[in-house]
Amino acid sequence: MPVYQRGYRNWDQSTKKGAPPWWAIARRGISSPLGSRRFMLLLMAALIPAVVKGGFLWFSWKMGDMGNLLTGGWTDITAVGFHHFLNTQMLFVAIVTTLVGSDLIAGDKREGGLALYLSRPLSVRDYVFGKGLINLFYYFMVTLFPALAICIFGYLVTRGSTGMDMLLIIPLQTVLYCLFVGTVLSLILLAISAMGTRKVFVSLWWVLLLLGTEAISQVFFFINPWLRAISFTEMIHNTGHLFYGTETSILISPYASLAIVTAWCVGAILVLRKKIQPVVVVS
Amino acid sequence: MTQNKIEVSGLNFAYAVQPVLKDLSFTLEPAAIGLLGPNGSGKTTLLRALLGHLDNWSGKISFMGRDISVDGRSARKQIGWMPERGRILPGFSGVGMVAYLGELGGMPASDALQRAHEVLNFVGLADQRYRQADTYSQGMGQRLKLAQALVHDPQWLLLDEPTSGLDPQGRTAMLKLIRDLANDHNFGIILSTHLLSDVREVCSEILVLRDGNLLQHTKIESTVGKGTDLFSVEGTGETADFILALENAGATVEVIKEVITVKLDSAQAVILQAAQQTNFSLRRMEPVTDSVEDVFFKLVDA
Repeated sequence: MPVYQRGYRNWDQSTKKGAPPWWAIARRGISSPLGSRRFMLLLMAALIPAVVKGGFLWFSWKMGDMGNLLTGGWTDITAVGFHHFLNTQMLFVAIVTTLVGSDLIAGDKREGGLALYLSRPLSVRDYVFGKGLINLFYYFMVTLFPALAICIFGYLVTRGSTGMDMLLIIPLQTVLYCLFVGTVLSLILLAISAMGTRKVFVSLWWVLLLLGTEAISQVFFFINPWLRAISFTEMIHNTGHLFYGTETSILISPYASLAIVTAWCVGAILVLRKKIQPVVVVS
Repeated sequence: MTQNKIEVSGLNFAYAVQPVLKDLSFTLEPAAIGLLGPNGSGKTTLLRALLGHLDNWSGKISFMGRDISVDGRSARKQIGWMPERGRILPGFSGVGMVAYLGELGGMPASDALQRAHEVLNFVGLADQRYRQADTYSQGMGQRLKLAQALVHDPQWLLLDEPTSGLDPQGRTAMLKLIRDLANDHNFGIILSTHLLSDVREVCSEILVLRDGNLLQHTKIESTVGKGTDLFSVEGTGETADFILALENAGATVEVIKEVITVKLDSAQAVILQAAQQTNFSLRRMEPVTDSVEDVFFKLVDA
């Protein structure tokens, strides 16, 4: 019987089970921005550094000593090189996560949708996890996935001469580092998004955190080198030395950076717990 | 089915220091139940409590045998909530939003999409289902909110001011939908409203709140229309003698223009007897019954 001839019918709940609610949230949030052509162009633009790095790798391998002319870490296929590559992607990370993540909770709060979500059989944890996966996915799109592609490409170009480093160790280090950074960024972006209802407000604070604190710390660095701790991105970058087993170039130890980043995360969790409520009490 | 009951006992809740729900206790069987009360009486807060949306409440809410403070998620699988304001998720078509919320209600994606088409057809939005939901008119928005409440086929519907902002036609259509769900599909429906006429048209029970207190929970038929001790009488003859005879029989009599209102137990027999004694020709005699409005105002004004 066609739909338009049916009245209300009960749903046979004995059929197959649905996906977890966090997966439904994540899937919808991931697929939604992909409908925008401009956003797709931005994602492609974010892959340009990886393509350039791949090209440089190929060039340096083919040209032998001539390849030394290429500088700036682009031809470096050691752990340091990959750590550097991920750091250079931070601008794209800032743009993509701002576009995708700034309205994730703020939009729901603005439209009153939060209560609608939480009237379903899902917990606040499901909601945050689903929303967090959206941020994480797009963070991976501009960092982890290109980095892994470079690993595979580098292994093929060097005909396996890089051995297990390129095939296993660096990819593993990169996965762990990106998982850590992606989780941190997701949590903090969600917390900022939960604090407001306007996308502009959230975007501004997010960009200020990612890029503004770096600019400020560059100024104060001359007064006291320890003030590099102001830079959120520098602290994240510094923790990378723990994952890649490399030497830090600043006074602050990677462990201290890890503690600072962890404190940021704890703060974000507290904000999320306080702000994600189906009922807002106005005192 | 007694399994489908909502049981509330000793429910207390306060926003900051302001008590909103005060020691509420009641049991609801599946039926169309009007939740009545003046503004600020705690109607919406009670619905929020049933959804498990409140923190720091005390008491017990058991939903179909499940304690909502322990197993709120599975209880919410059986609740469809239609909120009063806003609550249309941005960036969705009508069918997209309903299907998405169906998935969040635990349905597989394919079932949710099929159900979304069905319930949108049921609420009369079939032609507009692919339109962006945030461009819907208010009436369409209300229907959409009803559709999302129905999509996962719950046992109970909590409807918060469902006819708010609707034009008369839209209101009639919405009430018809709700009546169909209650009468033909055995939904338990809690209809929170301040429009008594909505309750009169749809509900079989009322739950009246004032200042967070439960004033009454009763079946409408046992309260409304209960007025056998009150009669309105018109006739010709010696009105003064007729009234005197009624008063001698113990009745309270009030005369407005030519209409005589008589209040007394078993008034019908007394009126007939008094009319016979005084040769008063009765032209009209009918019981004066309480309406939902009368019951509500009596309770709230008491």
